[in-house]
Amino acid sequence: MTNVYFELTREFNQLGPAAALSSGQAVVYYRLAIMSKDGDWIVRDAPEPCAHVRSVLSRHGALHRPSAPLDVRWLGGGWSSHFEYYDVDERRIRCDFVSRPPRVSAETLTAMFRGQSAGQPFLVVDRDTLIRLKQTGRAKDYAVIGELARQLPPDQEVEWTTDIDRILALSVIVNRPSSRPSVQAAQRGAGRAAVVAALALEIDELQQSDRRRLAVYQRAAEPYLNEFRRMALDRLPVEQAHEHACRLAEALLPQRPTEE
Amino acid sequence: MKAVRMLSEDDLNLSELTDDELVRAWNLWFDVAQSTNEWDPPYSHGVFADVDGAPSPVSTNEDPI
Repeated sequence: MTNVYFELTREFNQLGPAAALSSGQAVVYYRLAIMSKDGDWIVRDAPEPCAHVRSVLSRHGALHRPSAPLDVRWLGGGWSSHFEYYDVDERRIRCDFVSRPPRVSAETLTAMFRGQSAGQPFLVVDRDTLIRLKQTGRAKDYAVIGELARQLPPDQEVEWTTDIDRILALSVIVNRPSSRPSVQAAQRGAGRAAVVAALALEIDELQQSDRRRLAVYQRAAEPYLNEFRRMALDRLPVEQAHEHACRLAEALLPQRPTEE
Repeated sequence: MKAVRMLSEDDLNLSELTDDELVRAWNLWFDVAQSTNEWDPPYSHGVFADVDGAPSPVSTNEDPI
């Protein structure tokens, strides 16, 4: 018995580092929770890994859900590409891809695709990267961040934790400056209420920042998505859908909407 | 004061499961979770998260394009 998303990760990386398991299934991998009906991957920002991933999806009979093409021209601008198929047990398998996720540096991505770490059964994002991915507009992701941070050494945990009690405890142990207002408040002995307020503001700013980012993409996507659905590209085999989606995207989907 | 954890004591033994036990537990959950598929949002997160992810309408024309 396997986890279908773990197994897909092995398939995606059969020819070399191509796609790192991320988000909810990475949370499962790190044994924080049993969760996530979908699989998410960061795909290497190059044509060959994108082509290989598409071929794997094609073998599974996947369909291209209304979304950007799995192509570096759009993935490189922060778009995501989504697919779906049903396995032999009729379970819905959803596969989502990005190559330039928010808040993750190009250097981190380059290092990620040098290959999996010793002892890892397949390529999966590290905890630091996973925490950055989880700094979304969704409140539930911040509880996950707090639990992920617990798996880090104290001097790193204090820079990420969303747990007020851990901030208060670690600010006494970790004796170095922090850029976080909540940790600064704890370190100067501002009192619990002040630290709670600072933490709430930190999280709210992260959430609002991600929502502002998403709003740009959502406005830019509308003409393309409407036409994608009208053309029913989500009922075509993957490679055929991809060909049409790219032609459509060349006309209607700005490659880098945040720069326009 | 003990910090409040995201998971209960029973859930926290995930770290003590063997790889095989973890996979079995996840598959059991995934199988049960299939029952809610039709109520899931089109996209769980990402740039399309708040977009209508409805599939293309079914038409009498069998050739999509």
